Amino acid sequence: MTDTAVLGRSQGMVREARHLLFTVTPGAAWIIVFLVLPSAYLMGVAFMTNGPYGLPQMPLSLDSFKQLAGFGFLGWSPGNLYTLLRSLWQTLVATGLVVIVAYPIAYYITTCRAKWRPIMLLLVVVPSWTNQVIRTFGWMNLLAPGTPLSSVAESLGLIAPNMGLYPSNFAVTLGLVYNFLPFMVLPLYAAFEKLDTAQVEAAQDLYATPVKAFWHAVFPQTLPGLLAGIVLVAIPAFGMYVIPELLGGGKALMLGNLVANQFSGGSNWPLGAAGAILMLLATFAGLYAMRRIGKRLGGGEEVVI
Amino acid sequence: MLNKTRSALGLAVAAAMLAGVAQAEEGKLYLFNWTEYMDPEIIEAFEEKYDVEVVTNYFNSNPEMIAKLNAGGTSQYDIVVPSNYYIPRMIETGLIQKLDRSQIPNFDNLMAQFKDPSFDPGAEYSAAYQWGTTGLVYNTETFPDAPKSWSLLFDPEVNGDYPFSMIQDGQVATGSACAYLGASFDCSGLDDLKNAARLLIETKNRDNFSGFTDGTPTLQQLARGVTHVGMSFNGDYLYFKDEDPETFEHLDFVIPDEGAEMWVDSMVIPSEAPNPELAHKFIDFILDAEIGAQLSNYNYYASPNEAARPHLDEVLTQPPTQPSEEDMARLVFTPSLSGQQLQTFQQLWSEVKAR
Amino acid sequence: MRKRTLKRGLSAFWWLTLVFLYLPLAVVVLFSFNAANSAASMTGLSLRWYHQLFANDQIMSAFGNTLVLALTSSLIALVIGCLIGYGMYRHRHRKLGWLIVLIYLPIVLPDIVFGISEMAFFVKVNELTGLLGPGLGTMIIAHVTFQIPFVALIVYSRFVGLDPSLFEAAKDLYASPFKRVVHFMLPTIKPALISAFFLSFTLSVDDFVISFFTSGPESATLPIYIWGAIKKGVSPEINAIATLMIAAVALAALASLVVNRRKA
Repeated sequence: MTDTAVLGRSQGMVREARHLLFTVTPGAAWIIVFLVLPSAYLMGVAFMTNGPYGLPQMPLSLDSFKQLAGFGFLGWSPGNLYTLLRSLWQTLVATGLVVIVAYPIAYYITTCRAKWRPIMLLLVVVPSWTNQVIRTFGWMNLLAPGTPLSSVAESLGLIAPNMGLYPSNFAVTLGLVYNFLPFMVLPLYAAFEKLDTAQVEAAQDLYATPVKAFWHAVFPQTLPGLLAGIVLVAIPAFGMYVIPELLGGGKALMLGNLVANQFSGGSNWPLGAAGAILMLLATFAGLYAMRRIGKRLGGGEEVVI
Repeated sequence: MLNKTRSALGLAVAAAMLAGVAQAEEGKLYLFNWTEYMDPEIIEAFEEKYDVEVVTNYFNSNPEMIAKLNAGGTSQYDIVVPSNYYIPRMIETGLIQKLDRSQIPNFDNLMAQFKDPSFDPGAEYSAAYQWGTTGLVYNTETFPDAPKSWSLLFDPEVNGDYPFSMIQDGQVATGSACAYLGASFDCSGLDDLKNAARLLIETKNRDNFSGFTDGTPTLQQLARGVTHVGMSFNGDYLYFKDEDPETFEHLDFVIPDEGAEMWVDSMVIPSEAPNPELAHKFIDFILDAEIGAQLSNYNYYASPNEAARPHLDEVLTQPPTQPSEEDMARLVFTPSLSGQQLQTFQQLWSEVKAR
Repeated sequence: MRKRTLKRGLSAFWWLTLVFLYLPLAVVVLFSFNAANSAASMTGLSLRWYHQLFANDQIMSAFGNTLVLALTSSLIALVIGCLIGYGMYRHRHRKLGWLIVLIYLPIVLPDIVFGISEMAFFVKVNELTGLLGPGLGTMIIAHVTFQIPFVALIVYSRFVGLDPSLFEAAKDLYASPFKRVVHFMLPTIKPALISAFFLSFTLSVDDFVISFFTSGPESATLPIYIWGAIKKGVSPEINAIATLMIAAVALAALASLVVNRRKA
């Protein structure tokens, strides 16, 4: 190699590095300054002391985490634990229901004629283009006391007389399912589209029941889509704020509300920040678990995250 | 290439600067007030008199108001209208500034008791806006023989079947529970607070509890039949009754015999208000005798303004705007909590919300 | 035989799901024409809520804010996201794991954590420097932050889908990098740019939580206004605004359908 070639190469490397710097810096800097720093600051707040009027103060302490776990001035109380369990439970139920609804829908779309499929997908997605507050407001209208749905539920003895279906835990679950259904249908549809039909038909001959055929031939193939869907549904559902606030009526507080209330009710910033850290940990743990499961079952590469 | 990097960064900086553009435009007054609390004609008159624009933002409860101020609002608003029990903590944390009395000649129009209120001795920081009470509003068709008591909320024997709501502001909800339990509405002892919290948790877990709502929206829910009992304010009740007499014919406002809350909402100026001079002019404008009367005539609350008295509508001199002497004796201020007491209360209240 | 019943069952389920998806929106639209102020019963048709709507300055300014916010943030995010998307493609053989993590961060962060972090941070910065007071500016910053990753990923996947030899050809054809960008790169990724812009725009209009925590006294957007109106006690005006927003979405859906058709 001659000297000039070495020089040329190193010049090229410098140019490449500059190029990388030029293209990546603005975006990376933006996210670092306006998201990473703020999150870091919020985490810092969690380790500060709650001032007399709810604002963070020095000295540093772990009080907010103790409070989050339920240890306050009055001894231990289970309120926050209830909230955490309620969030987990709601997330679990809503995600489960979304999966149950999305599977047949995604499958059905793939069985329809090719020219209809984009339209059908669009029909599923369009409601999620409207604002979350508006969608939830629609359910408030539908489930309020005295509306037809509430009257039916009342005459079936499902709810106490004069009470509507909203506000309630049920309304929150329904709101969550409604909100997140499209996010499950899309990845599942993508998975079904790639399905090896020969394998499915063989399975149908091989196994006596459709359930067994589904379990052995279809389910493993759609697993990457399912995992992607669960990530897209469960994580935002766990931190949901709008739906429990509007449809829960004070009986269905979730972790997102607990966190937000510490800021929007002006009561305790460090506690809210500690709750936010808990939410972050749960989010990352969830992502990590999904990745592990995906990898072990062989579909890991295709999971979106 | 470097130039481009620089210009890209410049773009980011420029966008960031956008946010820094000072909002304190000359000739704008930022008012942060309760909903349904101001006659739009008064705003117009003020705008015309001083050739300015008034930008109003609304809140529905004191906690909501203080949260906005903590989140950067101290430099965003010129006038805020908090209730008595929030004023001491706003003074203590430096959220609001002292008033310059020389710029408010109409301050003398206030009644004597509002010139030296217990929550702000000497009225150094605040000027009374309106005063009123928080009581029970219920459906008289559902409860033809309703007792004049908080038991409409707290006793399942009295109301076991019909949906009801409680007020979102924790201190007021706790006060009503205290009053029902025989302690006073302004209870602040640890045992009383604990008992009240226990009752609130029991109550909110009853099947017919529909949720925590703020005072003004409670009336909308009652009007639409979503709930049959709730807690709200006397003036808002009359205001909506006047707007929709048919619906409100069978809704009644009472001050329960166990005692209830009386409050004073006052105008204050945040510590870093963009336009404090105009804010003083606004306070002076509201304290004018005729404007003060116009305000009360519009929103049906009792006026703290002595000079406004001759201009007030007759309805304002009767209950529920001006409570009867008997009821008046049962009204107390919600205590302004601070320090350990406030933290204890907040912990109990978050427990109520979480369970 | 069994297959036919299965198919029929699926078809029935499909229609039921559609009802489920559109019923809440339909109710909002229906009640926006309700003559009475009631959420439970229709008494007759009327346009009175729409009249009230257009006479309401606050709603009109919220509408303006929504548009300004969505347009400005989408444009800024388009430029920055496009650069980073191209950078990721061009340097995809380097170890850019940290960059991928950084880009996914705004996507996976729960809205509420996102919103309050920025709020707390902006308040602190404002306290120290006087900059970043809550308002349209802080909202634009926040929106750009969650739009960048989507733009970057869309642009990146467009580049990945291209034949690499195209780049070589462009290099021969246009000498200056600037010309390459204008005559080759931008036209080639135009579809990606358009869909990235629309996605950013939709994300901005759809957001409530992050806007709520970063807004100031004069920067309420429609979702924030509607939230306030719901909290204040449901006014039928909300149905009318919501209907207009639903109509806008329906139009967008139709447009995307037409565009897709033409492509096919």
